[in-house]
Amino acid sequence: MRSIFSWIWRLDPENHVILAILDFAIAVGSLLGFIFIRRASRRRYFRRRDERTLAIRKRWDAIVSGNVPPEAWRFDSLDRDIVEAILLDRLDLAPSGEAERLMHCLRSSGLLDIRIYEAGHCSGWQRRRALVCLGRMHAAEAIPALAEALGDPDAKVRLAALRGLGSVGLPEASAPILERVVLGDLQVPAAPLQNALLNCCRLRPSLLLSYVLRAEDSVRPLLARVLGEVASQELGEDLLLLASDPLADVRASAARALGEAAPALGLSALANLVHDEEWFVRLRAIAALGRLHDAQSIPLMVEGLCDSNRHVRLRSAAALARFDAQLEEIFGLVRQKHDRYAMQALVAELERSGALLHLVESLPNDASYQSTECLLLTAFRAGAERFLVDILAHHVDLHVRIAVARVLARSGEIRLIPTLEQLAASAPSWRGQCVTRWVLQQLRESPVPQPMG
Amino acid sequence: MIFRFIEISNDTLFAYYLLSNLIYVVLLIAAVWTSTVHQRHLAGMPMTRLMSSPLTPPVALLVPARNEEKSIVESVHSLLELDYPGLEVIVINDGSTDRTLEELIEEFHLLETDLFYVPEIPTQIMRRIYVSPDDGRLLVLVKEWGHSKADCINAGVNAASSPYICVVDADAVLEKDALLRIMIPSLTEVHHVVASGGIVRVVNGSVVAGGQLREIRLPHRPLEILQVIEYLRAFLVGREGWAQFNLLMIISGAFGVFRRDLVKQVGGYRTDTVGEDIDLVTRLHRLLQERNQPYHINFVPDPVCWTEAPSDLRSLGRQRARWQKGLFDVLWRNRDMLFNPRYGRIGWLALPYLWIFELLAPVIELLGYTTLIAAALLGVLSRHFFLDFLLFGYAFATVISIGSVLQEEITYRRYNDWRDVTTLILFCFLDHFPYRQLQMFWRFWGLWQYLRGDWGWGQLQRVGFQSRDKTE
Repeated sequence: MRSIFSWIWRLDPENHVILAILDFAIAVGSLLGFIFIRRASRRRYFRRRDERTLAIRKRWDAIVSGNVPPEAWRFDSLDRDIVEAILLDRLDLAPSGEAERLMHCLRSSGLLDIRIYEAGHCSGWQRRRALVCLGRMHAAEAIPALAEALGDPDAKVRLAALRGLGSVGLPEASAPILERVVLGDLQVPAAPLQNALLNCCRLRPSLLLSYVLRAEDSVRPLLARVLGEVASQELGEDLLLLASDPLADVRASAARALGEAAPALGLSALANLVHDEEWFVRLRAIAALGRLHDAQSIPLMVEGLCDSNRHVRLRSAAALARFDAQLEEIFGLVRQKHDRYAMQALVAELERSGALLHLVESLPNDASYQSTECLLLTAFRAGAERFLVDILAHHVDLHVRIAVARVLARSGEIRLIPTLEQLAASAPSWRGQCVTRWVLQQLRESPVPQPMG
Repeated sequence: MIFRFIEISNDTLFAYYLLSNLIYVVLLIAAVWTSTVHQRHLAGMPMTRLMSSPLTPPVALLVPARNEEKSIVESVHSLLELDYPGLEVIVINDGSTDRTLEELIEEFHLLETDLFYVPEIPTQIMRRIYVSPDDGRLLVLVKEWGHSKADCINAGVNAASSPYICVVDADAVLEKDALLRIMIPSLTEVHHVVASGGIVRVVNGSVVAGGQLREIRLPHRPLEILQVIEYLRAFLVGREGWAQFNLLMIISGAFGVFRRDLVKQVGGYRTDTVGEDIDLVTRLHRLLQERNQPYHINFVPDPVCWTEAPSDLRSLGRQRARWQKGLFDVLWRNRDMLFNPRYGRIGWLALPYLWIFELLAPVIELLGYTTLIAAALLGVLSRHFFLDFLLFGYAFATVISIGSVLQEEITYRRYNDWRDVTTLILFCFLDHFPYRQLQMFWRFWGLWQYLRGDWGWGQLQRVGFQSRDKTE
């Protein structure tokens, strides 16, 4: 019976073998040849580019000031690319005076015009490259060309134009984007769109506000998110409109923006948002209160600490841990809530942020020793037990260890006895053993917990 | 009758190799095209803007660690130094019996804390949670040994608070901008990217210091060099090609980013399989296809994760057997998706490919080789057939392997030394004989173990970065 591959085998055997070996050798040889020729040509290209870059850098000041006429380098594509690359890199980091000089060079040498022309007349990769370069030139003249490309049917061209407008970073560059967004005429991914608007509206956030108010519900959250990032005190009471918006995402962004508002305005609006039905709105509100860092907001944050959502609790704890001077009041308020998890979250955050360690280390020299000790006892009972025992065992300062020993002794917590016995047995120093044994003795003698102050 | 059987078997092997290589040629062309487009796309992408943008979403890096005392500290340092805003590094110590936890406590001055842990995805008992006062981004979870990496990752998913999770092996080193690069499709693509995989490369032979890769070189051992070629072919050709058609079924467990909400919706990683990475991607495909939701599972070829490859035959054999067991398990569990119109291209193309060219490959090849030898012994092996077999089974495949080195050369070019490139090309000639045959046995062994009910992970021998620095 004939094999289905017999058509191949019908070929003359010798020719077939020779053909196969030849094909294989040609294929392998072509691949190897390509790899090595490419390597060699790239090496030559990069060597030449480095030489030209060095030569251009040596004459850099003369090129920027125009003493070397642009015609001397503009007609050589390699030189032109090198000059443009150096100009754009410097422009990204230049202070304003230097930036003006570089911009003048871009304009007078015709580099800007070349890119504007390419953005309008080229297609594909060349056009995208021109759009990105135009953005990096930060020139207002580039905006119309970039805005025109926003309407291109090719998604990649639209994206390049959007990035370009974002890089320009001028408030005027946001107008063509916002107009198209509001009309639903710009199909681009959300992240680059938001980043572009973020850059353009940073100097004038009020530009965004009117668009947030009149846009469709589908895009309002997106614009509001940007507003939340760029908001400043100039927005003032306009933000209150957004704080009562029917869309939760918009309210969340408003909460974020209110963190940058004047405290008087911010606190009152955020007081409502802390009780919002959506957890992420409450989360943003708590974060904004944390940024305002006003002691009046402590009760609101304590409410956040008892929130049903763990993220809100953790964020509240993080915000509260920054109020070093008001820790006593905070502990008092949290105790009144009778919420064990709230206290635990607070103590865990105090541990994590280092506030508890700071408190412990200040204990030996603290003028208000009694109240600090009382705070530490509260923290101890809320879960900082291991933390304090760890300090007793390992802290480098003997005075701190003694102060912690007193706190542990006052706790009257007999559950600690086995742990401390182990600690006493393994303590590396004689002093460490003495301190630990003293705590043990105190705990054994007074097993009843001391009343807290 | 026997001769007829031998003839059919030999024809099948020949057809199998021919088809497999043709598919790889298509994938190679697609991969070269995608790489070129990707690189041009990156040219207009200011990384610094993503880095400084407050809108870049945070990512939680999950690092499962069990008995990783040799490399854990270096790895965590390397992860904390990554260029990414809003980073959360969660190390999950899975009941280590060595000094993994102690090393972490000493290096990062960890403090035990009582942070909330809500096991939304059920896991083994969480014993302790540590935070670092030195770096608030680091969280260390200590849990009971769950007998699986999946249980570990699930614990990390529960503890994470970022919208994206990225699973990284504890013995892996990420390049500084790897996370930023792997996130680019999720942040900029018009498609709804739900997961992205990065490329995994072999670190053996390179110099790692302070958790960073200092010099990239090829390994010295032939077995390790062959794995370098294998990884290049698998990632730069295979995965990049499949991802182009949105048919990617595997995101390496060593480095991949997922949307956390979707991972939770599919119930996290499955703990009773050894192929948890392919299983998760398959279940994501299933969920999103059933919902008829537009999505894309992406492969990004330039964010590099360097990982230690097994350097002895025994460890490599165990690893490959385990991969095969994992594949078998996942394909078997999801057999209802095969040729099911509900799952579109996944059911009609991706899964059949995995069944025929990955799962059944060792069976087909072993049978083919056996009958090839039998035909030779019985004197019925046609010289023409044998030459054709060599041409399409070996030479064609070798050209594809060289093609994957070419793809590396024209795109990402991590091996700069021309001696390294020459060595890679020379070793391409060993890739399909005898390395492929070795793999065939290991993979067959994996299938056999699975059918016998041995679903364990097996132990891999690690050298670790520190000892590697000293030896090299």
